[in-house]
Amino acid sequence: MKQIIYTEWLKVKNYRTFWVMFILALIIIPASNFMLADRATSNNFKQVGKIFGNPFSFPEVWLTVASMNSYMSLLFGLLLIILVTNEYTYRTNRQNVIDGWERSQFVYAKLFWLVTISLLTLIVATVSGALIGLIYGDKPFSLEGYQYLLYYFLQLNVMLTIALLIGVLVKRAGLGIVLFIAYNMMLDQLLSFFLKRSVGPIGGLLPLQSGDELLPFPLVGKMVTTDTQYDTYVYVTAMLVYIAAGIYLVFRKVLKSDL
Amino acid sequence: MPILSLQNISKSYGSVQALSGVSFEVPAGSVFGVLGPNGSGKTTLLGIVTDVLKADTGSFTLFDRTPTAGERRQIGTLLETPNFYHYLSGYKNLEISAAIKQRGKDDIARVLEICGLTQRQHSPFKTYSLGMKQRLAIAAVLLGDPDVLILDEPTNGLDPSGIAEVRELVRKLADSGKTIILASHLLDEVEKVCTHVAIIRSGKLLLSGAVNEVISRSDYVEVSAEDTNALRTLLLEYPGCTGAEIQGTIVKALFAVAPDAAAINSFCAKRGIWLSHLHVRKKSLETAFLEITNIPA
Repeated sequence: MKQIIYTEWLKVKNYRTFWVMFILALIIIPASNFMLADRATSNNFKQVGKIFGNPFSFPEVWLTVASMNSYMSLLFGLLLIILVTNEYTYRTNRQNVIDGWERSQFVYAKLFWLVTISLLTLIVATVSGALIGLIYGDKPFSLEGYQYLLYYFLQLNVMLTIALLIGVLVKRAGLGIVLFIAYNMMLDQLLSFFLKRSVGPIGGLLPLQSGDELLPFPLVGKMVTTDTQYDTYVYVTAMLVYIAAGIYLVFRKVLKSDL
Repeated sequence: MPILSLQNISKSYGSVQALSGVSFEVPAGSVFGVLGPNGSGKTTLLGIVTDVLKADTGSFTLFDRTPTAGERRQIGTLLETPNFYHYLSGYKNLEISAAIKQRGKDDIARVLEICGLTQRQHSPFKTYSLGMKQRLAIAAVLLGDPDVLILDEPTNGLDPSGIAEVRELVRKLADSGKTIILASHLLDEVEKVCTHVAIIRSGKLLLSGAVNEVISRSDYVEVSAEDTNALRTLLLEYPGCTGAEIQGTIVKALFAVAPDAAAINSFCAKRGIWLSHLHVRKKSLETAFLEITNIPA
């Protein structure tokens, strides 16, 4: 694995597009959270805070950050799609195998990025949440409610798994990105909406919706009744199943088909 | 021990049968030419050997073992086109090749020098000309000085001097005892270096083995005299002559055994025909190849 990570490092070390996107995506997490916290705690909104509570105080800040960040996960998915489809565009996926990688090592190399991106994002989100809670909140630091960041982490992993799967199936950056954005911004919610209306709460078990069900919008979420939802563990299990199924399909595609 | 042994490899792309039951062995130390017209299945065959394509049926061994990535790391391979990261320099691309091959970086300077890329090693790959890209691919093949090389159309995209350099390089590598599997449709490219051949047409193996055993390249004689027709008739009477045809002012005569120029000269003189030209020639691999591949399957 060390050798795979070293090789992946050599591939991106001088790849400007990667670094610009990666750093931008990581900066957006604290930047947007801080901006929102700064606005929301300004005098104009203080009255709202008095009624509903301060969403930037512990423990609510974890849900606020997790919910906010779930809207920005898309950028990391695009980054992963580019890393994967580059290999197909340049046909270096073939060359890596010709030169002496097992096909499975190619998948491990891309899974390394999935894990790295999601872990780094979790770290940045955790630090941002803690700082916002300390700066804009009015309660002492607490890890109560931190599970929301873990739900966000799981949802991000589902999204990155979808990006990886689209990358190896579609192989072309342009089409892959369009499909990924369409699924993320529309299809998942649309399908979920229709399924919920026609079948029932099972509509909430679609890949991305599973995470959304666990990340209600701060403040508003409190006012919405949630008796049509399953228990938390159902959504968590669904997300774990999606991640496992996605990775299985990626392995199957790369191991069995012509490169 | 054969370096590569193929058993009954078949592969199809939809309704197109790219390979049908191909079997042959590549002996150690041989320069093995895989010959065939464009689209005959050469690259598909080498793609299967390098695990980028999956055979429908059949199996193969590398170094007498079931092939894994470990066996591929011992082989320098150029398959079809040079595949590199466009945004990286030639040197950095070779760093990646070396890392995957699990070899150090210390050989990169040597292979860049051999391929004439030292000056441009730090330029991005996307700025390279077609010939330079092909040279970089050959440099990657040479990384770590492997004992076995697979070269698929190695002179693609090179200018005449580049083609000559690659031929010279292949010859040197062959002389140093390396096993080379060389796929090409350019027969003069392999004629001088190949010890063994496999000829493929439309996915079927027509023949394989040592060049001199499997390709009949019998010598023939070009002669001329004042009366070409009389000369042709006379040559057909010569013991062992299997055919004679007039080509302009020359008669081309074929023989069952290696022809003796002096005996032919004497034979003609005794029968009153004085030769003005006599030349013993060898049938080119190209001619032999065309004869073989033109036989209806």
